Amino acid sequence: MARASSSTSHAGSAILGKGAQIRGRIAGDGDLRVEGAISGDVALTGDLVVSDGAEIVADVQARAVVVEGVIEGDISATSSVAIRAKARVSGAIRGTSISIEEGANVSGRIDAEFDLPPELGGKSR
Amino acid sequence: MANTVIAHGITIEGELTSDEDVLIQGTLRGKLVSKDIVKVESGAVVEADISASSLSVGGQITGNVTASDRVDLMAGGRLIGDVKASRLTIADGASFKGNVDMDV
Repeated sequence: MARASSSTSHAGSAILGKGAQIRGRIAGDGDLRVEGAISGDVALTGDLVVSDGAEIVADVQARAVVVEGVIEGDISATSSVAIRAKARVSGAIRGTSISIEEGANVSGRIDAEFDLPPELGGKSR
Repeated sequence: MANTVIAHGITIEGELTSDEDVLIQGTLRGKLVSKDIVKVESGAVVEADISASSLSVGGQITGNVTASDRVDLMAGGRLIGDVKASRLTIADGASFKGNVDMDV
């Protein structure tokens, strides 16, 4: 949080607070924390946190994604995806590593990209 | 810290509505409605009509603005559009092009 106010030359952290709503596209560098509602696509090069009580009805793209709220749409992460206990996700989930906590409600395809170990015929990098 | 922060590097194309205060450091195209304070900081680019309780402009706004309380154009701020507010200040070094309606 301190980064956003102390520096304007670097991409900072963005927050969409409770009681805030976006209808439209969000794109950019830096991290985003959503406590409100978004209907429209989200494409970030930073991390995305969807807090408890937040709702996104759209496809999301980000580096790492943490979901505590609701996402209705596909999640595509270049890094990890963490679905926390209270979360509800309906849509395809793609990431390098995916974790789903007990109690989360997930419906959709899960696509974890990782290399198979050599003994299973994968190519080690 | 503001309730909603659109940080530098973030672009929103669409409509942002909020019950609470909004701080814009990045880019917003579309429409912005807040029931509380809106601050457009230096470096921010807003191409949208804005409605808020009060608005301070340190960045660039192209669009009509309406504030139930006040609009403050800060030094370095740039506003192209009409202002409707009961109070308006324009600091030395601010740029402004548009009409003012103070609702007298």
